[in-house]
Amino acid sequence: MATSFKQIEENLKNEARKLLEDQKVSLVLAYGRGYDENHPVPFVAKIAADVENIVFNEYCTANMARYLVRYPRGTKMAVAVKPADSRAVVQLIQEDKVKREDVILLGIPVIGMKNSKTGEVIDSKTTCGLYNPVLYDVLLGEEIHGQPVVSPYDVLAQYEAMDKDARFAFWQKEFDKCIRCYACRKACPMCYCDPCFIDQNKPKWGEKSPQSHGNLMYHLTRFHHLAGRCIDCGECSRACPVDIPLYLFHKKVARECEEMFGQAAGKSIQDKPVLVNFRVDDSDKILE
Amino acid sequence: MLKKTAIQKISDLAAQLMQKGTLIAPVREDAGFNFREVSDANQVDLNFYNTLMSPKLAFFPQMEDFVRYQTGKSVLEAVPVEISLKPAFLFGVRPCDVKSFEIMDIHFSGTGAVDPYWQKRREATAIFGYAFDVNTPADGADFYSTLGIGAADPEGSDVFMMKKSDDLLLKAVTDRGEKLLAEMSGLTDATPDDLKYFDETVAAGRSFKTRFTCVEAKSVAKKFEDLFHKTPFWERISDGCLSCGVCTFVCPTCYCFDICDETLFGQGTRRRVWDACMFTDFTLEASGHNPRTKVYQRLRQKVCHKYSYHVRKYGVISCVGCGRCTRNCPVNIDIFSIVDQAMKE
Repeated sequence: MATSFKQIEENLKNEARKLLEDQKVSLVLAYGRGYDENHPVPFVAKIAADVENIVFNEYCTANMARYLVRYPRGTKMAVAVKPADSRAVVQLIQEDKVKREDVILLGIPVIGMKNSKTGEVIDSKTTCGLYNPVLYDVLLGEEIHGQPVVSPYDVLAQYEAMDKDARFAFWQKEFDKCIRCYACRKACPMCYCDPCFIDQNKPKWGEKSPQSHGNLMYHLTRFHHLAGRCIDCGECSRACPVDIPLYLFHKKVARECEEMFGQAAGKSIQDKPVLVNFRVDDSDKILE
Repeated sequence: MLKKTAIQKISDLAAQLMQKGTLIAPVREDAGFNFREVSDANQVDLNFYNTLMSPKLAFFPQMEDFVRYQTGKSVLEAVPVEISLKPAFLFGVRPCDVKSFEIMDIHFSGTGAVDPYWQKRREATAIFGYAFDVNTPADGADFYSTLGIGAADPEGSDVFMMKKSDDLLLKAVTDRGEKLLAEMSGLTDATPDDLKYFDETVAAGRSFKTRFTCVEAKSVAKKFEDLFHKTPFWERISDGCLSCGVCTFVCPTCYCFDICDETLFGQGTRRRVWDACMFTDFTLEASGHNPRTKVYQRLRQKVCHKYSYHVRKYGVISCVGCGRCTRNCPVNIDIFSIVDQAMKE
């Protein structure tokens, strides 16, 4: 039986209050009231009194790990993490963007989260589909067991059935919709480059105007920058105002990385990112 | 002049407009409705609440080519891009969006420096406004009544349209609208009952409720001026902001652009492309200095520009309460709530 959202909210408030009162952290990354119940906003509690504004419900989909890199190194922070979000924190620790000792993970087991724009239930189709965080210091609800385990890669069946030309045509059509608002990279917890390659103009890697070739350049490069790093939270796809199914490419690359290197992104802080690490027994498949 | 036609027959109306020129109307797309140049009259679909992108793109497209050139050749050989001046019809625009054109006119023609691209398109285009359904509650993100805009205000349109059960009523608002309606075939004359319905709906639109807070232009402008240096306030409201460009791109009154020289295989184009004050590199200077490195500085700029600086310079708030920025924000940041909180500070 999953812990109710109301109970998780209560537990989250209590933990946050304790951490702030005891000065264990200087801020708690959580969720707050938005303009209505179905539209909560990311919220940062900085003093104990802020805690009253914390909420948690099925629409609290934002990946709060995204905000960790915004604060100076050494800032003691607590962050509310759902399963995929905890993977983002693990990945950030692997990449040395966040120190394990600086962050307290308030883990939230979840099932039945909903997209605030569409009301649809979010599951393994657009995310990693885990029910429990992979790393936490405090768990704010009962671990969820006994739920059907669905592979996050099942959704790829139709995509993988397409040949190379069909896939290229598919992405060209999708990228033609892109308005270059960059919500995908801004919502992504792993997109922390400053500046992003696409914003550079010496050299200029891609055009600023929303046309096929520039859009292709932006998205394909971003996809590859995230190879072996995407933790499959699905935030990019939910952030996209024109509904480009970015998760498909990320899942495809994640699956290939997992098959080639036997390691999924953000699962253990002992791991090293696959494209940074070299092991003698690494797959040579890519060279064949 | 008030005319009517069956909603089912709007493709006939669309076909006639397409004969006269370019028709830009709401069409259904993957992520929702958008104003697009229509190539098939059957695409026109009035069963929408509001479009994803605002209709500003009819006059101010995201990308506008100015000059084409070849690298290595003399500038004298560069060719300016001519804009087509075919009559155009912008069909199905909600009253709040119609109002946005008046605000945008200030920047593109009202200050004396006329932007020929905006101006020529604006002059060539007749606007068919379209009332919101006053019998259905407004979307939770909308707040146009806060900005004094009704759900069925005909002002600013050439022809104003509204649904009456299975019919579409069309009222000529301007001389251009009168002429257009007179030339259309297949429209029937409205009955006195229709006329009464039209007037009642316009009145109902004025008292129609969206989210509301009192924003008298001068006092809200002053309030934001006073708040400018209250950094904790701005940090608090922007803690969750991702600093992406969705809000500005979907906004009907955001008009910032960048001029880019884009070259591919020696073929160059100088064009303008929408830019956004929420982007990190928006204020990046050639020296490398960036006066707005923090998210709160950028969000403050966006809000203060609309609700404060714009009032000080031009006397009006540069926001029409269409709710697009709120509806499309990936993290549900809501400009209405920001204004509301600011007034209570």
